[in-house]
Amino acid sequence: MNLQDHIKLYNEAVFDSDRDRALKVVHDAVAQGVSPEDVVFEMVLPTMNLMIKAVSEDFNANLAQHFLTARIADAVTAEMIPKFKKLPEMVGRVVIGTAWGDLHTLGKRIVIGCLKARMIDVIDLGVNVPAERFVDEAVAREAPVIGISALMIHTATGENGCRKVRQILQERKLEDSIKIIVGGAPFRFHPQIFKTVGADTWAADAVTAGKVIEDLLQEARR
Amino acid sequence: MITGMDRLTAAIRGETADRIPVFCNLLDQGARELGMSPQEYYARGEHVAEGQIRMLRKFGHDNVWSLSYVGKEAELLGCRKIAYAKDGPPNVEDFVIHTPADIGKLTVPDDVLAHPMFAEVRKCLDILRREVGGRNPICAYITSTMTLPTLLMGMEKWMELLFLGPAEMRDALLAKCHDFFVKEVSAYRRSGADVVVYSNPFGSTDIVPMKFFMAQSLPWIERDLRAIGTNGVVYYCGMARMNQVIETVFDHTGIGAYYVSPLDDLAEAKRIIGGRGLTCGVINDIKLIDWSEADVRQEVRRILEAGMPGGRFLFGTGVMPLAIPEANIRAMLEEAYEFGSQKREMNR
Ligand code: B12
Repeated sequence: MNLQDHIKLYNEAVFDSDRDRALKVVHDAVAQGVSPEDVVFEMVLPTMNLMIKAVSEDFNANLAQHFLTARIADAVTAEMIPKFKKLPEMVGRVVIGTAWGDLHTLGKRIVIGCLKARMIDVIDLGVNVPAERFVDEAVAREAPVIGISALMIHTATGENGCRKVRQILQERKLEDSIKIIVGGAPFRFHPQIFKTVGADTWAADAVTAGKVIEDLLQEARR
Repeated sequence: MITGMDRLTAAIRGETADRIPVFCNLLDQGARELGMSPQEYYARGEHVAEGQIRMLRKFGHDNVWSLSYVGKEAELLGCRKIAYAKDGPPNVEDFVIHTPADIGKLTVPDDVLAHPMFAEVRKCLDILRREVGGRNPICAYITSTMTLPTLLMGMEKWMELLFLGPAEMRDALLAKCHDFFVKEVSAYRRSGADVVVYSNPFGSTDIVPMKFFMAQSLPWIERDLRAIGTNGVVYYCGMARMNQVIETVFDHTGIGAYYVSPLDDLAEAKRIIGGRGLTCGVINDIKLIDWSEADVRQEVRRILEAGMPGGRFLFGTGVMPLAIPEANIRAMLEEAYEFGSQKREMNR
């Protein structure tokens, strides 16, 4: 089997949300001489990008699919990176957490899985994160992007969530160097509210979030 | 005088009343109306009943709720920590299930009706039944077997167990959740609830793939419905979409009412359900927060135009966020009352 065959099998397993099959494809590929670098950069990442394309073309992707795609990508990347010939260059760093008052972890967790597979360094601030902490951590860790997840309308639009993060960035004159991206159910029901809460951008799902954040980080490097 | 119950009954039977039934789900707004914090408000059944009755008087919609917040179900199963916000709904703060062993330890109360955590719900239902029973449909919110674990262990851990196993542990938990589900429905019905909103996001293909729905979700839906019957049951996916599964759910369970997501194509839902059941057209209440009154009215008309032809239609909302201005609530309801009147229905 050549690399193209492995890619095809991996692709099918991921689109079927079959973690065990995907992992088996990866292990078979490595056993047959595919390099860990090729597994990540030729199999995992392109498959995620295909998923983004499919989602944007109204392929009926569901939560389970995003969840399992992220889990698979996260697991494969974690296993392959230590086997790389030299450590991969990271695209950049992000701090991410759920908004103040919000205890829901899943959205953030899935986004993190997708980011790691893109060689993005993620700092997970956990749940119920005060606005000050988002900014303090972003500054301390030199992360040009803050990600905020919120599952309910009052945590997405409330005064202690993204709005306050924006206010602090403004007060500390950090708006040019730190960008805010938001996500979570309310933003999907109302695709305009990311603007009213003062975010720079948003993403409707985790695989797309990976790409949007990667773009933000590329911009920050310029 | 025509009552909310008359309107609902007429719509279910495919007859006409003065107007279509209108369900408006104002929960946290009751606390604001009574000038209380959500925590104070939800602590007492009489507060919630009073809040619901005041909402009804103020806005004139058709239904009332015995629901305080969804996390109540976790409390009936041992959760002792609820996080209260001042500007939003209460949330489960501490999960009952942290470890696999906790699944074994989970105990389902024999009689939910007699459970101390149900006492305030029961008080609320007693008052509602006395004050508006028979005139306004009293709604109960019941989380389906397959969705209930999210309240006990969180969405993340449940997705893991559901999709990645171990299967025996998953099935053991589902069996307990089903047992609780049946007892909970019985408790609500015995206390006077007329409408059972069967909340099942895991029965939506927004959450799970179709293959999984057929293999896993559907059998549990069938089991749930075989146990409680379809009387007064409304299929609801927590505002996730359901058009892809309506036909199957109907064929396999006979559920007669569907609370369609605002993200579904309503006209399509109506075509699928047709004359067989009640189509509930639901407004995107998150957009109600910042729409202008004119936008609100236009959206209500759009929904009614898609759903009313052929009758058997109800207009409804999700769990209305507190941030929605009262003027928009009024504009929405006025438009639904006016545009949903019999005169217009007959003219179509
Ligand atoms: C499943 C569900 C439930 C379940 C499970 C809840 C739980 N514990 O997680 C049940 C039925 C129990 C439930 C209960 C409630 N729910 Co509910 N629920 C849903 C539903 C259907 C899906 C939510 C979900 O978990 N999705 C999975 C997550 C992972 O998806 P997500 O957050 O959208 O994340 C994706 C993207 O948005 C993105 N993303 C996420 N975070 C981030 C961050 C960044 C930076 C980026 C870029 C992207 C990104 O990537 C993710 C993966 O693709 C939604 C409606 C819907 N269709 O979305 C309502 C919804 C979230 N619920 C809602 C509400 C109100 C509630 C309750 C508070 C009701 C009440 N009054 O009690 C309770 C709270 C229960 C509790 N926690 O105590 C509202 C919230 C809006 C509002 N009105 O405030 C919603 C939106 C429904 C609605 N339209 O009214 N719910």
